[in-house]
Amino acid sequence: MSKPLKDHICEEQLFSSIFRKYSKDLYDFLYYKFGSQLNPQDKMQEAFVKLWENCAKVPQHKAKSFLFTTANNMMLNEFAHQKVVLRHRQIKPKHSTNIDPEFLLQEKQYKEKLELAIANLTEAQRVAFLMNRVEGKRFKEIAEILGISTKAVEKRIYGALKKLRQDIDEL
Amino acid sequence: MNRESLIQKWLDHDLNPQELEAFKQLEDYDDLMKLNLELQGFKANALDTDASLDSVWNTIKTTHNKSFKLLPTLSKIAAILIVCFGIYYFTTSLDTTANTLASEYKSLELPDASKVDLNAVSTLVFNASNWDEDRSLSLEGEAFFNVAKGKKFTVETQFGNVTVLGTQFNVKQRNQYFEVTCYEGKVRVSTTEIEKILLPGDTFLIIDGNYIATEKEELTSPSWLNRKSTFKSIPYREVIAEFERQYNVSVEFNNIDGSQNFTGSFMHNDIEIALKSITLPLQLKYSKTDNIIRLKRE
Repeated sequence: MSKPLKDHICEEQLFSSIFRKYSKDLYDFLYYKFGSQLNPQDKMQEAFVKLWENCAKVPQHKAKSFLFTTANNMMLNEFAHQKVVLRHRQIKPKHSTNIDPEFLLQEKQYKEKLELAIANLTEAQRVAFLMNRVEGKRFKEIAEILGISTKAVEKRIYGALKKLRQDIDEL
Repeated sequence: MNRESLIQKWLDHDLNPQELEAFKQLEDYDDLMKLNLELQGFKANALDTDASLDSVWNTIKTTHNKSFKLLPTLSKIAAILIVCFGIYYFTTSLDTTANTLASEYKSLELPDASKVDLNAVSTLVFNASNWDEDRSLSLEGEAFFNVAKGKKFTVETQFGNVTVLGTQFNVKQRNQYFEVTCYEGKVRVSTTEIEKILLPGDTFLIIDGNYIATEKEELTSPSWLNRKSTFKSIPYREVIAEFERQYNVSVEFNNIDGSQNFTGSFMHNDIEIALKSITLPLQLKYSKTDNIIRLKRE
């Protein structure tokens, strides 16, 4: 027989383990969905504080959806539906030799196009796509985090890739 | 394997070595690799899970433990106390009511050990909570009071108030009939028109708004306490009304003059004898069916 799940999570150890398990995913989710303007780390932490306040009412298997729903709602309360623009941070070039000014310009333009194209993705596409490409998560993991089917995740990600490439070509 | 499913497998990090080779042969392989590389620039800031967890615990323990958990508890306690106090206050400040039905008597003791005997069909209302400050009660019907010495003792009736200090007296208030008899001590009766001080044996009587002088009473307590109603020159209808109350019956006396005076008494424990006591002196006959009694001239 498997160990029954606790019907509440008011134990510091259990709570901490839930934090370790979900905090990163929740933070990523908030960041890719809403960008950094609304401080995803704060909202993630607030969601956990709310979870603790309601720990007696939330059974362990509902903790994840409680966290995601709470954080999402907190974001939506502040979020005025402006376009989310994720900032591209400079990645250190692997080879710093042969700095060709034309090449640098091309790179710069490409990044700008990419930023714009990502901003043009739908919210759902952007979250799934960046979790997959940047965080290296597989379809199944993303499906679990977002609470949707693997097929839907696949559709979103592939759709996002197609749209992105199309946009970059056109721009 | 076609291009689309290769790209999908690549996206899902699910290419086997053979498929990877095939994927590398795709014409847009370089394009995808470049895109993929550049996408890494959008990576969310690294999250320091432990520091973040510490800060969550800090928030929980500082603000939420103290203010958020103590406050509801305190307010719950306060709410319970308020409700308890409210119920206590409400119930103790309520008036106490004692009443009797037809052919019923009741003896009760007031909070200061004063005694009240309540005759049939009477209601007594008093407030036990502030009895020490205000010895007043309201009466509808008839009662005999044996008042313990103390502050002013007031009986309020529809017709007037009876005020005493410590004494024994009887108050009878029925419809248009108001009678106070003092048996001991001193009693002051005040109505809107008359105010009178009664000494032992004095009776104050108002019928239909008229004050009626009466003889001295010789008894030391009202006769109804001994289950007997006594009348001295009292209108016959008052006698009948008292009879109805004592035996819980209704009496019809259509063509008999109810205002003629009656002197006499009847017992409360035998209806036949009692009927004779009130009919023979006036040479009346009676017939009885169930609870209805008809009186007729002989």
